[in-house]
Amino acid sequence: MSLVNNSVKKFLKPIASLKLTVVIFALSIFLVFAGTLAQVNSGIWTVVDQYFRSLIVTIELQIFVPRDLARVPGAIWFPGGLTLGVIMLVNLIAAHTVRFKLKWKRSGMIITHLGVILLLAGEFVTGFAAEEGNMTIREGQTVNFVEDIRASELSIVDASDLKNDLVTVIPERFLHAGETIKNSLFPFTVDVVEWLPNSQILGPMQTPPERKGLADTGAASELAAIPIPRANGVDGANVDAPSAYITIHDGETKIGTYLVSVYLDQPQAVTINERTYWLNLRFKRTYKPYSLHLIDFKHDLFTGTQMARNYSSQVQLVDTNRNVDREVLIYMNHPLRHAGETFYQASFLQGDAGTVLQVVKNPGWIIPYVSCSVVTLGMLIHFGIRLVPTLKRSVR
Amino acid sequence: MKKVIQYLPWIVLVLAILSVGQKLASPDTVDSQFNLEAFRQLPVSASGRTKPLDTVARNSLMSISGRQSMRTDEKNYTAIEWYIELITNPKQAIQRNVFRIDHPDVLAMLKLDAEKRVRFSFEEVLTASEEINNQAIRASQIKAKARDPFQRAILVLNDRMMLFSRLTQLEMPYLVPPISSGEDWRPFVETLSLNPQDPDARALLSILQSYRDNDATAFNEQIAQFTQLIDNELGYIAKKSRYEVVFNYVQPFYTALVLYIMAFLFGCFGLLSSQLSKKELSKALLSSMTMLIIVAFVIQTVGIASRVYLQGRPPITNLYSSAIFVGWFGAILGLIMDRQMKIGLGGIMASVIGFGTLIIAHNLGGSNDTMGMMQAVLDSNFWLATHVVVVTIGYSACFFAGFLGIAYVLLGVFTKTLDHERGKSLTKMIYGVICFATLTSFVGTVLGGIWADQSWGRFWGWDAKENGAALIVLMNLLILHARWGGMVKDRGVVVLAISCNIITAWSWFGTNMLGVGLHSYGFTESAVFWISIFVMSQLVLMGIGLLPMSIWRSKFQRVKSTPKT
Repeated sequence: MSLVNNSVKKFLKPIASLKLTVVIFALSIFLVFAGTLAQVNSGIWTVVDQYFRSLIVTIELQIFVPRDLARVPGAIWFPGGLTLGVIMLVNLIAAHTVRFKLKWKRSGMIITHLGVILLLAGEFVTGFAAEEGNMTIREGQTVNFVEDIRASELSIVDASDLKNDLVTVIPERFLHAGETIKNSLFPFTVDVVEWLPNSQILGPMQTPPERKGLADTGAASELAAIPIPRANGVDGANVDAPSAYITIHDGETKIGTYLVSVYLDQPQAVTINERTYWLNLRFKRTYKPYSLHLIDFKHDLFTGTQMARNYSSQVQLVDTNRNVDREVLIYMNHPLRHAGETFYQASFLQGDAGTVLQVVKNPGWIIPYVSCSVVTLGMLIHFGIRLVPTLKRSVR
Repeated sequence: MKKVIQYLPWIVLVLAILSVGQKLASPDTVDSQFNLEAFRQLPVSASGRTKPLDTVARNSLMSISGRQSMRTDEKNYTAIEWYIELITNPKQAIQRNVFRIDHPDVLAMLKLDAEKRVRFSFEEVLTASEEINNQAIRASQIKAKARDPFQRAILVLNDRMMLFSRLTQLEMPYLVPPISSGEDWRPFVETLSLNPQDPDARALLSILQSYRDNDATAFNEQIAQFTQLIDNELGYIAKKSRYEVVFNYVQPFYTALVLYIMAFLFGCFGLLSSQLSKKELSKALLSSMTMLIIVAFVIQTVGIASRVYLQGRPPITNLYSSAIFVGWFGAILGLIMDRQMKIGLGGIMASVIGFGTLIIAHNLGGSNDTMGMMQAVLDSNFWLATHVVVVTIGYSACFFAGFLGIAYVLLGVFTKTLDHERGKSLTKMIYGVICFATLTSFVGTVLGGIWADQSWGRFWGWDAKENGAALIVLMNLLILHARWGGMVKDRGVVVLAISCNIITAWSWFGTNMLGVGLHSYGFTESAVFWISIFVMSQLVLMGIGLLPMSIWRSKFQRVKSTPKT
């Protein structure tokens, strides 16, 4: 029994070669190794995007040598994870098309490879469709939005209407030094003077002289932001905290230069024509049809130590659309699943004042479970019917 | 003569069992009119875990002085004797030479002379306490990786001084059991100052006072009463505590380590004598090796089971226990292999991996409590029992394949042991182990992914340790596909199998050294050095494996098939 005719086979043969498979494995090993080393100096998400979800990656040679040992210039081009994944998939499908024989002996291998195809497909789905965000809730507070801590936005809120706020947001991609932002939704222009992708906020006494007085208006004009290196590692606390200096113009008149930062909780007021607009740089928000109210956050320690035994958040989940109003306890290894999203205990605020929940929406979350079971089953069958008799027969 | 040789394995077996029995029968008890045996069994709470005072005393003395006992001119003090003197007679205790200091600059700073001894008293160290403190503050202000040896030595000394004074002031361990009030263990001094009439604390106080006043009768009576009370109220904890004392003095892993080394020697001599065509002797030596491995394996199993019982957790909870487990599983693979292929190579593999991993474990354990509590996110018995165990079995299988590869190369290049048959069955064995390793490392990695999905919603996060696991799977797949595609033959599989050692070592330890990621627990600096040595040695072995076949001493000739023995 054969799936395709001979001419197609001839064409597919080089694509289906096992040599190609081995080369892909070797390249993948190198890519994963480099992508692990790269995490020492860059954030994990930068690495994932550059190495594993890209067509091509520029691997700096420096990552193979510790920085304090020697400085190594130069870089090499290398196929990225997406490229290798696609080639692997094509190679695998081609191989089965060319060599497909429905024989009992090959059943294990066919099942295994079907599972692998599904696994690769699942990683593509996750790569393109999964969304992750954070919900930071103080005790007693109710929150109905998810923040994406990998992106920020400048919000301008017109609160003059007593019933509804008019909220305008400017996404991070527009916030570059030199950029001027105009829109009919607000009666002024925003000039970005300086954009700091990761920053630290200093008080008046700590600020070095050259960073003083960059902001002249607003509640934060006494403070200063200084640039710091981008965050690395996976640790949830190690996120980039951007800040920016922006100048507001009302037509030709300069209103003033403001310091905005995700570190500053309170929005700053800009008053034009007796109307007040509130400026705030914040992590990118997505509003949700449900809300979580934090009743209590607990951080238990082991007796006589500072070591955490458990973190738990007792929350009230309210979703009027779905007629849900219930109390939930979220703790380590026990997430809440609601409305296609999953809420995990991720971190907490200083002084145990509140909780940070990780909110994940991954429509493909079930695929790895299925595909891995299929692969495991396939391997068991394959090694069971092929390997065990061989070993029995010839090993003495 | 022949007869004696026949009985050699049994003699070895009896001797091995006797030596283990002797360990059990000599609980290094204290020759004293005070019932210190009961004292060291008292459960207390330290670093979040209830354990016997014996463990606290041993670990503390170990971390301060590098030994589990204290030697003076008159006699040897056990850890518990040192500890009870420390808390009842600190004036004497601060003159005991227990602080081990090696770094010459630290010694010079303390104006101490290392000519005659390497251990010094707290009193001696204290004379420079201000300077130590200053230097320690300086050292702690820079990153751990950037510290020089002097700064590390100062920090170690500072930590030891802190530990010593916390012990002396009874701040740790928490001595007062949760009997009369409350639900948790309490620190002794604080409890007494809050409520001088607290019955549990008072009971302890009188025990300590009797020891100080050298009143053995009262001490023994009071401790018997207190033990009785604890038995009644905290029966399970008391039982575990007693068991842990036995576990401490039997030292099952150390005993197993010695037996593995002996097994290795027997195995080498066995192989050697088979080369010299002394069949009888070789057979006897190899069987003796198997006997020793079985005894070692049984002890190691008991040791692992004891840890499971004491911790109430699956067998692997940290790097230390993973090392022990890798060796344990290697022993299983070795014993199975020897049943299949009777040239004794499996036993040699088992003993090499056995003692290698136990030495690694010994160094990882150091003076720490190897049964410490776990970070909150790791606190899940189900996943520890599945993901961690399966992944560790995968490591073990990879190392086993790798070491078989090494054996193939060494025996092939330097001896004439390998003929066609043996070469074939050895590579078949390697291939089989790699298949097994592929399966276990894949399943283990996937289970890890499922755990990650359960605990932070990300099946795969490209975290360093996850990548390490993926590398092992990819390497195994590469070998299998290269063999299926005919790109490599026996020798290629062997050399690639050795490279598995590098990847597995990297995945097991290397990823921890990067200091990034959710799994980056247990970073050790000297480990970097040893890993580099290991990687280099494996590269050299791979190079040897690639030498032209013409200079291999084994020619892999076909021999006429001999009837099965």
